[in-house]
Amino acid sequence: MFKKNRNNLTDAKVSSSMSTKQVRYEALVKALHTDLFRYAYWLTHDKQVAEDLVQETFLRAWRALDSLKDEKAAKSWLITILRRENARRFERKRFDMGEYEEASITDHLSTSTEQEIENHWLRERIAKMPEEYREPLVLQVIGGFSGEDIANMLGLNKNTVMTRLFRARNQLKDALDKEPLKRGNYSG
Amino acid sequence: MDDLQFRRHLYTEPNSQDPDFLAAKQADKSRAQFAQEIEELDSKIADALKVPVPDDLCNKLILRQAMASHQQQKRKSRIHLALAASVAFAVGLTVNMLQFSSAYSDLGDYAMAHVYYEQDSFSNDMSADITLASLNSKMTAFDGNFTEQLGTLIAADFCRFDGVKSLHLVFQGESEPVNVFIVPERSEVAFTAAFSDKKLNGKSFKHGKNQVIIVGDKSEPLNQWKKNLSQNIQWSA
Repeated sequence: MFKKNRNNLTDAKVSSSMSTKQVRYEALVKALHTDLFRYAYWLTHDKQVAEDLVQETFLRAWRALDSLKDEKAAKSWLITILRRENARRFERKRFDMGEYEEASITDHLSTSTEQEIENHWLRERIAKMPEEYREPLVLQVIGGFSGEDIANMLGLNKNTVMTRLFRARNQLKDALDKEPLKRGNYSG
Repeated sequence: MDDLQFRRHLYTEPNSQDPDFLAAKQADKSRAQFAQEIEELDSKIADALKVPVPDDLCNKLILRQAMASHQQQKRKSRIHLALAASVAFAVGLTVNMLQFSSAYSDLGDYAMAHVYYEQDSFSNDMSADITLASLNSKMTAFDGNFTEQLGTLIAADFCRFDGVKSLHLVFQGESEPVNVFIVPERSEVAFTAAFSDKKLNGKSFKHGKNQVIIVGDKSEPLNQWKKNLSQNIQWSA
């Protein structure tokens, strides 16, 4: 009989905290799934793998949602989870994902405008860029993180991150300056 | 801020709001143009990085979590049920053991405790009105009977002797009542042929399928009681 009492008391509490948690979670998903998917895509170069990774990340985030106190930190928190999940993926089975394959870019060139062609060209450049340059760039441009945030997330020195950001843009600028003519080939 | 520093800052953080950087950008026309170029590059990079996101990803994420937490809740309630069942089982087991286990490991100790507990109910000069017939009707439960009246019987009743149904007979003794228990044989308590404490003496012996326990005052000739009882009780099976 006291068991019944106990249930009545806690059920209400549990369900209300459950629904707050649910609301928080859905808000988190809506606000951040786009950035997270894009980050995952640039990490894995595979839409399917990126999607799986994002799903796994949010599932883990749900379980640990109570530990997220500061909503402002949510994005870097999720990215940290995602990076860990990605590392785990490599532990589980050795994907031969190391090399970037051109075939995985699935834009339809025939119907593209010039803007999209350039976009595509740049995408390939970014994909071929060394991982260590690309990751800070993606975090800065997509994630909107400061050099310090990125350094914390990647466990690097801030100066290292700054150097890599510099080199990333430098490479893209050089490539863009050198190959404007070649880009025309993509339309043919 | 020299040219190299400016370029470095621009490439590292094109959208920097650092006042030195902003001032350097405006100070020189060629720098401003260069900055604009890089800002354009950066917006192109941003466009390029924005790969299309699957339309249903958001809903999938919410759905998958809902399924997972539902599963988890189901699992949790199953665990709770299992826990409650285990606790109930353990409690049942404990109660059972407490209730049916012998608090006394020795037959003699128990018999004396029983006698002390009931000693106020009987006195040696109580009137004896138990007939041989009514005694024997009780004895049928043990498949036995008394062949003749033995001494003066004050009381004869079934009682729980350490949890086992037994017959408790109280006879008039020399100075204090003599208690005789007829108990079905059991294995879990030790059989003590003779026992005593400061006030009481006791004897027990196996008779037929049952044990007969006699407890009486120190002055009581228990051997005589034992002899009389064993001659007087007959077992039908």
